[in-house]
Amino acid sequence: MISIKNISKNFGKHEVLKSISLELEKGECVALIGPNGSGKTTLIKIILGLLYATEGTVTVNGEIVGKDVAYRSIIGYMPQMSRLPENMTVAQVFALLKRLRSDVETIDESVYKMFDIDGMKSKALGKLSGGMRQKVSAALAFMFSPEILILDEPTAALDPVSNENLKDKIKQEVADGKMVMITSHNLSDLDGIVSRVVYLMEGEVYFDKTIEELQASTGEERLNRMIVESLKPQTA
Amino acid sequence: MIQIARYLTIDLLKNKAIIGSLLLFAAIGWGLFFIESQPEKALLMLMQVTLLLLPLITLIFSCVYYYNSYEFTVLLLSHPIKRSAVIQAFFIALSISFSIAYTLGIGLPLIIHNPSVESFILLTSGNLLLWIFVGLALYVSTKVNDKVRGIGLVLILWAFFAFIFDGLLMLLMYQFGAYPIEKLILVLTFLNPIDISRISVIMQTDAGAMMGLSGAIFIEFFGSLKGMLISFSSLLVWVILMYLGSVLNFRKSDL
Repeated sequence: MISIKNISKNFGKHEVLKSISLELEKGECVALIGPNGSGKTTLIKIILGLLYATEGTVTVNGEIVGKDVAYRSIIGYMPQMSRLPENMTVAQVFALLKRLRSDVETIDESVYKMFDIDGMKSKALGKLSGGMRQKVSAALAFMFSPEILILDEPTAALDPVSNENLKDKIKQEVADGKMVMITSHNLSDLDGIVSRVVYLMEGEVYFDKTIEELQASTGEERLNRMIVESLKPQTA
Repeated sequence: MIQIARYLTIDLLKNKAIIGSLLLFAAIGWGLFFIESQPEKALLMLMQVTLLLLPLITLIFSCVYYYNSYEFTVLLLSHPIKRSAVIQAFFIALSISFSIAYTLGIGLPLIIHNPSVESFILLTSGNLLLWIFVGLALYVSTKVNDKVRGIGLVLILWAFFAFIFDGLLMLLMYQFGAYPIEKLILVLTFLNPIDISRISVIMQTDAGAMMGLSGAIFIEFFGSLKGMLISFSSLLVWVILMYLGSVLNFRKSDL
């Protein structure tokens, strides 16, 4: 579904991504993790066409990113919503995007209903709490039934019940054959959801393993323990 | 693009800064005609407000609004929407909102108290000026990703167009006063939209007669219908340049 070939990105002299190559397939739930400044957000922005790669190409379902915008019709992106037009209401955001995506026939309102977005639809975006913004962002990402979901810190500000509900929804999407990419610093939130872990370090892929491979190499059951064990320096 | 512009305009018309600008313009507009018995003097004072305050307010607010809507821009661009449509929507929404604030705040008292050609010219050039400075703000914001640096740069540009450019022109006139450089000065004024607007208005009033020898050439040019059309056309060229500049910049910039 997403093919990343030798992607490098420089900001001035600073090399943020160093020749990264990844193949992400249908039905996979990939955790893109790494310390701050490792290049996770940069890679996501390149996939979305928000940043232009210095070198390399990204293709989504065979379409080269950057040539046309049509490929984004199969992507649902859940950003961290902090800077928004403060007087625009929740209802207006949904109305605007529905108008812009009027070609989409299958509207998935399950997350919209799950998070009771109707109950906050008259609220201005500037008046929403962090958790409410997160719910709006999630509902928008799932709304147009995308084949690829890119979720940036999806559970960061959510309450425990909403967190579990969203995790169930993600699992269901993966079971339906969709591709999900998640970035999160809270590894326990990714437990039981992700099937593959891509760990970025200083702009390079430090490791790229399936959960089964990680379990076999570390002997751990929980994801955060698997990552910690994988990052330990290898002793002879 | 029209849908995005529509929703952004609705948001902007509820924005405290736009409402505040409208109230400030209205207080100045109505207040000046209330305290000044000669409408022409009030018009010249309103011209100064238009030429100095309006570019400053539009530059800073447009810049801040663009930076503060970053995630909304990203959200829109994660859908199959062209970059040019998003930045065009910002340009249109900001220009319409400021045009409403300026036309209601300053235009209304101007037309009621001093319905004249010079009032019409001030109102039209004021509107064109604010479109130019919205475009300039978006050009800078799409070029510079850092908010503080972006706002700093638009403040420098404002100072350049409002004061420094005129200072350089005066220096040129002073240094080469012995030579016939009036026509050169006339051409150079077209490089500054604030100067084009200022001279277009002043030349319609009695104050134009006090501008000496260079004023005579300016009156001859800007006082004629052809000169007026050229000055409005050049303001329109400025609008188009700023608009295209911000669109081209946004299309190729990293977000």
